[in-house]
Amino acid sequence: MAEPTYRGASNAARETDLIARIADGDRKAFEELYYLYHRRLARFLTRLTRRYDIAEEVVNDTFWVIWRKAGTFRGASQPSTWILGIAYRKARNAFRSTARLAEKNLQIEQLPLTDETPTDTEELRDWLGRALAQLPVEQRLAVELCYELGHSCEEIATIMDCPVNTVKTRLFHARGKLQRLLPQLATPSSASADAGARSSAASPGQKPL
Amino acid sequence: MTDSCSHSDAWLMLPWLANGRLAGAERVRIEEHVRGCAQCTREVALQRRLCEVLTEPERVTYAPGPSFRKLMDRIDGRQPVTPAESAPARVRVLASRGGSAWRPPGLAWAASFLLLVGFVGLAATTYRWSQPRYITHTAAPAARSAAVLHIAFLPSLSITEVGGALHRAGARVVEGPDGAGIVGVVPVAASTDTADASADLHALALRLHADARVRWVQPLPGATATDTPTHGPPQP
Repeated sequence: MAEPTYRGASNAARETDLIARIADGDRKAFEELYYLYHRRLARFLTRLTRRYDIAEEVVNDTFWVIWRKAGTFRGASQPSTWILGIAYRKARNAFRSTARLAEKNLQIEQLPLTDETPTDTEELRDWLGRALAQLPVEQRLAVELCYELGHSCEEIATIMDCPVNTVKTRLFHARGKLQRLLPQLATPSSASADAGARSSAASPGQKPL
Repeated sequence: MTDSCSHSDAWLMLPWLANGRLAGAERVRIEEHVRGCAQCTREVALQRRLCEVLTEPERVTYAPGPSFRKLMDRIDGRQPVTPAESAPARVRVLASRGGSAWRPPGLAWAASFLLLVGFVGLAATTYRWSQPRYITHTAAPAARSAAVLHIAFLPSLSITEVGGALHRAGARVVEGPDGAGIVGVVPVAASTDTADASADLHALALRLHADARVRWVQPLPGATATDTPTHGPPQP
């Protein structure tokens, strides 16, 4: 089975350059970086908060920080790690402020997830979204950063500002819960092959990372 | 299982083998273990399936343009604070002031409802206390004209007898009778001149007062309209 394609290090140099120009007040560079990241951040945050309006505001809060703090980026980590770290902290704050609402959402989402077997990838993704909503927020973030955005264990530790072993533990527990909620994941259907074909046919630009 | 990598170590690293972010010697080590471990092989397949599902192109189309313009407005000071920043900030400010700024909406609604019920009850009680605890037939002078005599006949009289008494006294009914049998009467041939009208009314009051079947008359003959009694009707 092919590994997923994420945006790789080839963009790191370009993004580092953009951040340097942003530090000098270059609005064009800022706009370019914003458009580069908006989609993947919005998708990541929407899945996390389950509300696009909050996700959009967190994206803008993130870039507000980038605009003001670009000069502090020294290249010690990948630009994506730095940006995701800011987004993570902003999302965590927003998530806490809307925690009551999220709890209400989670109560609504407490549905049996294994009554039927999803028949295609989109349906499975919907089921997966509901299953993810039942995970603690830190586990959910680890799942998103690993599987959706394709970060390494060390990068996730940097983004979440925690030890590497904590990342491994969070994913370990998240995996166990997802397997209980979605046992059909373990029995790939024909949709899997279909999804794999579509995945490999898609250009890297269509991928979130 | 191999000597170079325990099953539990490999198991923890499988997500990164699935997303392709394991590199170098560690990747070689984990892959070697997975090849000899059926459980890890199944798990890697599952992990890759997760990656596929979560990296699938979405149905949602994002439009960054309006969001970016909003952000630039904020940077330029045309929009100082966005709701995302202001809402938590408001919560923090309130929390620092009051200790516990946020309350469940349901509790707030319940408190509002109780307050509303309290206000309505208070208003109703105040209104009730402001009203007299008894009502007299003379308690509403504004509703009764000074140019009208109010009289009450004995309850034993029939309508015909009442009609006859009024006819003989030269009175006609202009109000009532109310629940207590009180009627308002004026002279049949009242003068348009104020002084004459008052004299006519006084004369009518005297005639009615003289009739034994009339229990009471107001205003009493010889009294002005303003010094009418406020308590119960006089005994015949």
